[in-house]
Amino acid sequence: MVNLTIDGKQITTAKTSTIYEAAKENGIYIPVLCYAKKLLPYGACRICLVEVEQMKGRLIPSCTTPVTEGMVVTTTSDEINKVRKTVLEFLLVNHVVDCPVCDKGGECDLQDLTYEYEVVTNRFQGEKFDLPTDEVNPLIERNMNRCVLCGKCVRVCDEVVGYGSYSFINRGFETKIATAFDRGLNCEFCGQCVSMCPVGAILPRPFKFKARPWQLKDVDTVCGYCGNGCTVTLGVKDNQVQTIRFNEDTGVNHGNLCVRGRFGYSYVNDATRLTKPLIRKGGELREASWDEALVTIAEKFKAAGKDLGIISGARLTNEELLLLKRISSALGTHHLDHSGGECYQGLTAGLNETMGISASTGTFPQVEKCNAILAIRSDFYETHPVFGMVINQAIRLNDAQLSVIADKRGKLSKLPNARTLMHKPGCEINMINALCQVIIAEGLAKTDDLQGLAELTKALADYTPETVAKMVGADAEAIKKTARELAGAKNAAIVVAYGLPYTAHSKEIAIAASNLALLTGIAGREGSGLYLCGEKANSQGAIDLQITPGPAGLGAQQMLNSAAEGRLPVLYLVGEDPVVTYPDQGLVKKALEKSFLVVQDLFLTDSAKYADVVLPAASFTEKDGTFTNAERRIQRLRAGIKSPGEAKSDFVVFQSLLNKLQKTAPAAPAAAFGELTGEVAGYAGIVYEQIGPQGEVWGGETLAPLKKVLIPVAGNEPLQAEYQLLVGSALYHSGSVSTRSKGPMSVCPEPYIELGRDDAVTLNVKTGDMIQLKAAGVTIQSKAKVDNRLPKGVIFAPYHFAGLGLNRIYTGQSVIAVEPSKL
Amino acid sequence: MTENVQQAEEQVEELEEIDLTAANEVIDKYIDIHGNLMPVLQGIQEAYGYIPEATVHLAAERLNVYASQIYGVLTFYAQFHLKPRGKYIIRVCMGTACHVKGAGRIGDAIVERLGISHAETTEDLKFTAEYVACIGACGMAPVIMVNDATYGSITVQKTAEVIEKYKAMD
Repeated sequence: MVNLTIDGKQITTAKTSTIYEAAKENGIYIPVLCYAKKLLPYGACRICLVEVEQMKGRLIPSCTTPVTEGMVVTTTSDEINKVRKTVLEFLLVNHVVDCPVCDKGGECDLQDLTYEYEVVTNRFQGEKFDLPTDEVNPLIERNMNRCVLCGKCVRVCDEVVGYGSYSFINRGFETKIATAFDRGLNCEFCGQCVSMCPVGAILPRPFKFKARPWQLKDVDTVCGYCGNGCTVTLGVKDNQVQTIRFNEDTGVNHGNLCVRGRFGYSYVNDATRLTKPLIRKGGELREASWDEALVTIAEKFKAAGKDLGIISGARLTNEELLLLKRISSALGTHHLDHSGGECYQGLTAGLNETMGISASTGTFPQVEKCNAILAIRSDFYETHPVFGMVINQAIRLNDAQLSVIADKRGKLSKLPNARTLMHKPGCEINMINALCQVIIAEGLAKTDDLQGLAELTKALADYTPETVAKMVGADAEAIKKTARELAGAKNAAIVVAYGLPYTAHSKEIAIAASNLALLTGIAGREGSGLYLCGEKANSQGAIDLQITPGPAGLGAQQMLNSAAEGRLPVLYLVGEDPVVTYPDQGLVKKALEKSFLVVQDLFLTDSAKYADVVLPAASFTEKDGTFTNAERRIQRLRAGIKSPGEAKSDFVVFQSLLNKLQKTAPAAPAAAFGELTGEVAGYAGIVYEQIGPQGEVWGGETLAPLKKVLIPVAGNEPLQAEYQLLVGSALYHSGSVSTRSKGPMSVCPEPYIELGRDDAVTLNVKTGDMIQLKAAGVTIQSKAKVDNRLPKGVIFAPYHFAGLGLNRIYTGQSVIAVEPSKL
Repeated sequence: MTENVQQAEEQVEELEEIDLTAANEVIDKYIDIHGNLMPVLQGIQEAYGYIPEATVHLAAERLNVYASQIYGVLTFYAQFHLKPRGKYIIRVCMGTACHVKGAGRIGDAIVERLGISHAETTEDLKFTAEYVACIGACGMAPVIMVNDATYGSITVQKTAEVIEKYKAMD
């Protein structure tokens, strides 16, 4: 610790602090433009100049100067004010003062400082910037005439996002921020630059002329898309979410968001939202009253009893899931599940068998301090983009070595020094086994209290890096290097995502990964962790609350099988659209047709079109409750707007249903949370009202395994087919609900089939051409997208879009043999 | 993908007609050296006469540097050229002495003869004009250089003759 004096106040602060940070910690104000908490010190704007007694003769930039013992700092004086005012005058020479039409007006740092320092006239004169506005993309507008060259956008895109859209170009007066070759912005549109810009140079286009900042009510809640659990601040006006605001002080994400979180909110305001219950009468869905709908449903449910199948989405709150569970037990049914293809089995079966737990063992902030990181499957950045940014920070701030076990290249492969361990599709387990084999063979394993080491060692005899490399087309040396790093790292992380498009071998991949985590000591070690991250906002909550088949109960896929055969008379779908997102569309449709179907959703989804009763539900912006993210962090949702029409939150619907079933229900989410802390192991002792802006991590920062059992799992033979299709997630989307949001749809509006350049040449296909894929007698067709991230013979298609009908050929396989042809 | 974004991508794809062998060779030579961006860019410029866009994307990919960052470097240094340059570079000195002695008229004469002003290149890629600050030959102002040859005490008439001379050459 260091002692210093700022403005006469005695201060003790960390040795690593800068003067600015020390002042801020102690409530002493110093103005800044280019400083940002999450970025490295830069010192570009010179607004934060202060006087230091020991450094007389010049003013010192407080944001880049470290504190030293006995320093005496003055933050305000006539001299300092004069210089700050001059800096502002310089900035205002070229800056277009178009504040009346600038969306930043009211929360613009330059405007505020100009006012604060009373820069009424300017002693300097010069040309105003007259640069064209970049309006090429639909989400982010760049008006460089307003730029103050603080470089925050350049730095955040590099230091945090790892995309590198921007750079300073030219020199001297001509200097400006531009993309490569000064073209329109074309990036992943996470909007971090928008959130960092201190002026109106980079703005969210969808928010243009929507509201003045002071008209907005800020509501902190949790993003409803993926399992990352980012805090989003809704900007609400006229009962509509007008924009997502920037708040770097809350949540696990420090204000970082992805394109979905920042620009994917418009579906909640959409005019096509369901506003009234619908009941099928005379073959058509007609509007009905809530009471009529609930009475009909209650009767059907009671009649079905233990033969009711319930499939829930993983975007319901914990409290709602608790009530849903109550409904299932009131009716005596064990057919309860929350995701297609039981892709969560990695947690419920895999990790449960090896470690006796069903959750990630560490937290995201720990990953930032890791030295070695292994990502299994390249899609991790696409499914959990903000976790991807955490990985990027670990690389940049902590020199972490990232290795990616990948069947295709992706954003992770582009991060600095990333090592991509390419392999043939569907052979992740072979690769993980090879890593384990090296660790055991080279004596690097931490074998204390591990069970099953002998069996595993024996089973891995066939998985030497050389054998595996030859079999799956990988690089043996790279496998060895990665294994040594993971075993030797002080802190290491293994990350893998699961979700609807990754149903195959989910249990086996998790077991292989936990073998690796146990051998390296990663599992349960402070600072290290094995992360199995769910696709949806509350996937972990659904696991914690055991929204899974009860004794002799059917899982989602089996329920659909059973319903298709007419053996499950009533199906209740809550927030799931299996026709679009579940494997094997043919089976799903048959099941929905044959059963009495109740669908509870925001929209009349493709699945809802088969329903006998449709109930209008509420989005995440309209309800209170909690989500548990992929690192076990329980965070609070807060309602920002009212639901449209008669739509009700799932909580209220379940309450009414329970009442109709003559059962009592907790009055509000807070009470429900109180009840579930008594029922869910790990949640005990957590108080709803006390869950703060950083949430509460159940089980502590590091979740210790309850047992340590190594279980051999066999790898897979590579598929022998010239062309192989991989199904997965696209960065711009999450599930199918993002396809109803203008933001993601404006940059990724339609399904596509992605090909590598070599295959595109062979098939004579260019981006935009229509191609078809044929598999097992079924054909699907779409526009082609050609790029260089896929190896020869590998084709990729995202699963989010109803239009593609991808699940007509995807029935849960890890890789599908297809015949592509140009149309 | 929006239409504009798609256009931008197509634009980039169109540029990739260039033979990247020479650029790859330059990168191979420096790939393991720390701080290799400048020599790589200089090497590429030497091989192609300018820095083609496709080579920037190649260098970005292979050196793990953002294309935007490379573009920042390329636009910072006057030595790099992003457009093809003429075989003969006519440097017109605009320094103080040359300016006083009528360098502006020499520039005008080149515009008149070749239709190119500062940083412009003739369509046949034969000539590029460059107005430079001072080439250190004030004693013979006004002065121009064509590649490595210096022409001092030049006039509008002499400029025309010099241009004709190079026009006649290959």
